[in-house]
Amino acid sequence: MKHILYSIALGLLVFIVSFQLLDEPAKEARVLSSFEAEQKQSEEPPPLKRDTIENEPIKKNYEPATVVQQDDQTGIVPTRLEIPSIGVDAPIGPEGYTDNGGMAVPDSVTRVGWFEPGTKPGRIGNAVIAGHVDGQSGPAVFYDLKELKAGDEIFVYGEDGSKMTFTVEKVAAYPVEESPIRDLFGPTNERALNLITCTGPYDQEASGYTERLAVYTTLTASDYKQ
Amino acid sequence: MKKLLSSLAAFVLVLGVFAPAAFADNHSGGDMAMVRIIHASPDAPAVDVYVDGSAVVEGAEFKAATDYMELPAGEHTIEIYAAGTMGEQDPVLSANATVEAGMAYTAAAIDNLENLQLKITQDETEASEGMAKVRVGHFIPGAPAVDVGPIGGDAVFSGAEFPMVTDYGELEAGTYDLEVRTTDGTQLLDLSGTTLESGKVYSAFAVGTADSPDVLLLEDSSAMPSSMPETGFGGAADTNNAFAYAALLGVLAMGAGFVFFRKRSEA
Repeated sequence: MKHILYSIALGLLVFIVSFQLLDEPAKEARVLSSFEAEQKQSEEPPPLKRDTIENEPIKKNYEPATVVQQDDQTGIVPTRLEIPSIGVDAPIGPEGYTDNGGMAVPDSVTRVGWFEPGTKPGRIGNAVIAGHVDGQSGPAVFYDLKELKAGDEIFVYGEDGSKMTFTVEKVAAYPVEESPIRDLFGPTNERALNLITCTGPYDQEASGYTERLAVYTTLTASDYKQ
Repeated sequence: MKKLLSSLAAFVLVLGVFAPAAFADNHSGGDMAMVRIIHASPDAPAVDVYVDGSAVVEGAEFKAATDYMELPAGEHTIEIYAAGTMGEQDPVLSANATVEAGMAYTAAAIDNLENLQLKITQDETEASEGMAKVRVGHFIPGAPAVDVGPIGGDAVFSGAEFPMVTDYGELEAGTYDLEVRTTDGTQLLDLSGTTLESGKVYSAFAVGTADSPDVLLLEDSSAMPSSMPETGFGGAADTNNAFAYAALLGVLAMGAGFVFFRKRSEA
């Protein structure tokens, strides 16, 4: 009889161990697409000789602070988002804070939300637009956002008919608690627009996704109608 | 029989090895501080900045300001070398600083080279809704105390002396014609058309010399949510197959064990 008990015990052990190993959510950021990643693969610069180093001008190696600049571009109140490469054409509504101080999102799965307390698209700073990846029973407006690649174009239209063109720089996924909120929403010297949606495994208990997908874009053309 | 028990014990050991890793709460965030560095010494050369022996900033010249960098909470040694002289010369400045988790700091190298010192201030990261938060730092050695306010109007910040950094004050968002003037009213710097946006936090650091003053107007922070948006309901989620795969492996192991253990007990 004992051999049956042993086999059951063995089976249970294997089940528990493999479940724990398989069910681990990602704990690190994953860069899905970026210009840098592509360049890194192509070439590594040859190491510098000592003589060259001494004659070189002083090497600058730091990220500069966000300095307030005279900004003659007002930015736009965005009303429509178009991403041809993944077939997105959606209305944009303004969103503020949730009761807990998080970013609010539209109730609708076909609309996207612009973080109104932050930056207007087209101005210097990080503008943010968030949309759902899915609804209760199927894909939503940002379901295909993860398919975007560095170089893809995004169009944002303003209430006055202005059109801003942004180009994707990087696509990355982060565990939700380790998302770089300051990099996405905080100060920057660029005219940036970041798109956010959910990704990764869905946590039934917390009824939420365990990761966030961020698409970093910068302004490459602007057509103001005023 | 003993062999069976020992092999079972081995499995328990294996579980024991995996379990802590699997159950450990891997939460690494939350113990970092943010620090940015400013070169505000008008006659000092370009510098490299080392924190605890590693280079974090290289080739920063006068008026350079870095973005915030993450540092673990705790005490750190900050050493500043003339650019490229680490290992050949002594640092021009060495100081210890303690930073707390979740806080932001500005470390400014100030005063003339011969009196070089590190001025560390704690920075704020939130302004009230609809308001802008501003503070002023006086980093011009040898210049008299200054007021900052609308041109010809009442001072918003008054009597700031070298090397003082005022507390933050809140102003309505908008565009202001500001000036930095000595307390007797002589204009040092014209800051006409300065736009302060709602939800943003600013630091205006006056730098340079009394003859050639300048201002570094930095954006310390902007309106940010405390957490990421909840952007999914799970209706199109990939079903998590971990349970099914694990169950399958478990059943296979049970079957294999059954065959194996039965042969053993027959032998």
